[in-house]
Amino acid sequence: MKVPVSWLREYVSFDLPLEELGRRLVFTSCEVDRIVPRGVPDVDGNLDRFRVGRVLEAVKHPNADRLQLCRVDVGEGDARQVVCGGWNFGAGATVAVALPGARLANGLELEQRKVRGELSDGMILAEDEIDLGTDHTGIMLLDSQLEPGTPLGDVLPLSDDVLEIETGYNRPDLTSVYGIAREVSALLDVDLAPPPGRDPERAGDEPVDVRVEDLERCPRYIGRLFRSVAVGESPPWLKARLLGAGMRPISNVVDVTNYVMLAFGSPLHAFDHARLAEGRIVVRRARDGERIRTLDGTERSLTPEELVIADAERPVAVAGIMGGEETEVSAETETVLLEAANFEQLGVLRSGERLRVRSEAQTRWEKGVAPELAEQAAVYATQLLVELAGARWTGDADVKGAFPERPVVRLRPERAEQVVGIPIPADEQRRRLMRLGFEVSDDWNVLVPAWRASDVRREIDLVEEVARFRLEEVPPTMPERTAMFGRLTHEQRLRRAVSDVLAGCGFVEAYTYSLQPSDPDPSALVLPVPLSEQQRVLRTTMLFGLVRAAQHNVDVGNEDVALFELAHVYLPTDGALPLEPWRLGGIARGGFFRVKGVVEQVFSMLKEEPRFTAAAHPFMASPACASVQGGWVAQLDPRLLEGEWAAFELDLAELFAQVPERILYDDVITFPSVKEDLAFVVDEAVPAGELIAAARDAAGPELREMRVFDVYRGEQVGPGKKSVAFSVVFQSPERTLADDDAAVLRGRIVTTLRERLGAELRG
Amino acid sequence: MSWASDYLDEARAAIVGAGSLQDLEQLRVGYLGRKSPLTLRLREAAQLEIEERAELNRTKIHLEDLVKTARRELERVAIERVYADSAVDVTLPGDPVPRGRLHLLTQIRREIEDIFLGMGYEVFEGDEVVDAWSNFDALTTDAGHPSRSQNDTFYLSEDVLLRTHTSPDQIRLMEARTPPIYAIMPGRVYRRDTPDATHSPTFLQVEALVVDRGITLADLKGTVLHFFRQLFGPAREVRMRTSFFPFTEPSVEFDVTCFICDAQGCPVCKHSGWIEMGGAGWVDPDVFRNVGVDPDEWSGFAFGLGIERIAMLRHGLPDLRLFWENDLRVLEQF
Repeated sequence: MKVPVSWLREYVSFDLPLEELGRRLVFTSCEVDRIVPRGVPDVDGNLDRFRVGRVLEAVKHPNADRLQLCRVDVGEGDARQVVCGGWNFGAGATVAVALPGARLANGLELEQRKVRGELSDGMILAEDEIDLGTDHTGIMLLDSQLEPGTPLGDVLPLSDDVLEIETGYNRPDLTSVYGIAREVSALLDVDLAPPPGRDPERAGDEPVDVRVEDLERCPRYIGRLFRSVAVGESPPWLKARLLGAGMRPISNVVDVTNYVMLAFGSPLHAFDHARLAEGRIVVRRARDGERIRTLDGTERSLTPEELVIADAERPVAVAGIMGGEETEVSAETETVLLEAANFEQLGVLRSGERLRVRSEAQTRWEKGVAPELAEQAAVYATQLLVELAGARWTGDADVKGAFPERPVVRLRPERAEQVVGIPIPADEQRRRLMRLGFEVSDDWNVLVPAWRASDVRREIDLVEEVARFRLEEVPPTMPERTAMFGRLTHEQRLRRAVSDVLAGCGFVEAYTYSLQPSDPDPSALVLPVPLSEQQRVLRTTMLFGLVRAAQHNVDVGNEDVALFELAHVYLPTDGALPLEPWRLGGIARGGFFRVKGVVEQVFSMLKEEPRFTAAAHPFMASPACASVQGGWVAQLDPRLLEGEWAAFELDLAELFAQVPERILYDDVITFPSVKEDLAFVVDEAVPAGELIAAARDAAGPELREMRVFDVYRGEQVGPGKKSVAFSVVFQSPERTLADDDAAVLRGRIVTTLRERLGAELRG
Repeated sequence: MSWASDYLDEARAAIVGAGSLQDLEQLRVGYLGRKSPLTLRLREAAQLEIEERAELNRTKIHLEDLVKTARRELERVAIERVYADSAVDVTLPGDPVPRGRLHLLTQIRREIEDIFLGMGYEVFEGDEVVDAWSNFDALTTDAGHPSRSQNDTFYLSEDVLLRTHTSPDQIRLMEARTPPIYAIMPGRVYRRDTPDATHSPTFLQVEALVVDRGITLADLKGTVLHFFRQLFGPAREVRMRTSFFPFTEPSVEFDVTCFICDAQGCPVCKHSGWIEMGGAGWVDPDVFRNVGVDPDEWSGFAFGLGIERIAMLRHGLPDLRLFWENDLRVLEQF
């Protein structure tokens, strides 16, 4: 919302500097983005250089066909010679003149100069040059009663400031100049002028045919009829106000509807009455397939979801959104039907979404406008149409349904301090509320004004109304604690530790999207209306986001890519909501064993023994894949990612469930260990893991460690065979193992491996 | 002058002047060895005055010290010469040790968590796919609120959606626990925003919730102030401005004094000296009622902020999308 300050001052007067007002409004009422001067700059006496002038003589420029050479009286005794490009005037015209040294609205400084050999000692102004319109086809013609030399600022709004504010969803009242003025009045504790507008005498008693079929979505429709309307240009003050508020002047009738909308926040519309079939207004749902061409030139197809304003035959406006082209007020219009209605917010919101359109009116209806305001708007617009378009007001209809109730809320004045933390005197609260339009009884029953009825319904809402004016003074304090937390959960600590291990292993953490283009699980959750095909399915695996991240790094030329991510996957369930377990995923350039080594580190940190088993990958083809508690490790198919890559994925809940609660000291010092190397020749197909598992079975806990350190294939072991060499540590926590003891353990291992797996000890 | 002192002077000059360990050894033998004049003289000790004998002994000890010192010095010079000859190019790089990184957003998230853990808060993490009740209704967001629109929110069905803020965690937490509650809730949130430099359909928020007896907006301000001083330095100030959120009443936005320019005005704070950081407010009593907390006994505040925003402001990243591209050239800077 752009608020011309001269307009604001019409309703509330204030002395403090504008910047200070803006600064304080930011705390109390709304965002003030900036304060922008408009019109001609009001600095260094610039306004004195703009005068009313009378053209004494106007002839063709001797050296230019398109220019006039004028002598203009600007009240100085001697007339000035001015060269002018406009031809819509002649001698005797009263015009606006800028003298040399004047700075125009666009910042340009005027100089005395020669134009095609003739001195031009000033400039006769067109409206766009002083920001009073957009027209540059001719110069501005002023009232001939005006005395030459009169300061132009006395007759035209030459200069103004504009507050650019942003208003919240809950404050429809702040989308109006009068509403902002009310805030200023409450903020500064100064009087607010009564709302502008007074009904003129009605010049007839014609019936106005208004029928409302849907009083829920249109709780009020005031239709007023105006005859003998002279559609034309708006006066400069009105144009300046509209331009300042960011709207383009169109014609006096349309400008009045926009002006009154800006004043009160309740939008209006004007129809060319002659173009309404049977002069009738019907507010109804659209019929399926009905069409309308709206004022933005778009042909729109409607459904019964849309509320329309129709005449006896067809829709002439989409309610609350935009009028139709066919019934638009034009230069030929003589009879106007003014609509000052009220449309319910949700209906407008949904129609706007469906029709994909935005208009000034719509943004107001969407926030919820009080039906009471329609009447104020109708009255003010009537007054202005009569005054500015010479219209005769000849008919009036006001169709109403039930209006939202105005709540009565009890306020305990002491409540404010409990919420804000500073005392706010009761009389200050009362005064503030009354300035805002609340009616406060002696015993603190508060009647909410219509324009806040949807937002202020409870005591806490009233507390906010008084509190927001004191926010700047709230001191910083700390809660008094009776309970403490202050620690991560066991699971959260483990998650941090897991990430740290991965980072320590050279993996860089990635953040990839939960929404992926596709997922291997056919039952994965899919967005019915995705933002793009790239973000469509809620992932059930971390893999593909990481593949994409790895690919991106390859594409930009990064080497030695190793990435991990710790985040949710989304597993569909029978219920409405998925399960969201935490997963750890990793990907790295290199072979299966690079990644497996990292997974082993994770298990080691968690004090768990990983059990890797050859397994088919759960959802893709893989040249090498192992299952392990909580997930898998796999070499990637090069068709997924070019080159040699491996990846893993682990379910953290599954891993964390096995983490020992505490680590008990293991006496590895008192009784020395016995270390030996053992090599077994075994069929190629027997995995090393099975040899170790069998050895553990055979030797029991005194086999402390058994690690593969070499695998040999070749002539010495024969075809189809391999030799697997282990380093073995025997140790007992209870006694020193003698050579004999070690020999017994070794013997058991050798026997078991031979019997179960056909493995032969190598000499 | 005694014989001993003459001997000492001569020997000292020679020892100090020794140019090599070899020379020094010869001098030691010459002045202190078995056949040296000093030794020979000492042998006659029995015939000497006690005083002279003592002087000779002192001279001997003194000379031995001189030799030791001179030897150490010569050894030092010798080894340095050897090392200098075999000089290592110490500017060559160290052996490569692969080091990974936590993502910048994780680093900041942990920093935030640690600040609040230090203030005695817990960290609560809820689900991202939630029902409309916990994302909107329980948070008293009425049916007309723009955030509920299909244009703003990812719906899986009419009632199930990707959370648009971390606030459903407030509901989950209050449903699961009795007050007092002091918690922060970090995590992913989703909005139907087309990706650009400042928008992403997925981003990270962190939200704080306090429920206790007698909590005021002043407590909110104090907590936010402490947090930002921890995060951005002890000179920071905060301010609260009126705002609107469906689930807090009163609602405020909070700003922190610009830590780039120390509130002097710069492009980052748009020359205002203040940086907008997030939304907050006093928990709406109806929210308490919705989760079975008695608003007459308990009160509270909540506030939320964007983690990416903090990262971008503090580290000068120009584009939100950088966080999700996972380019090592970016990630390895932090």
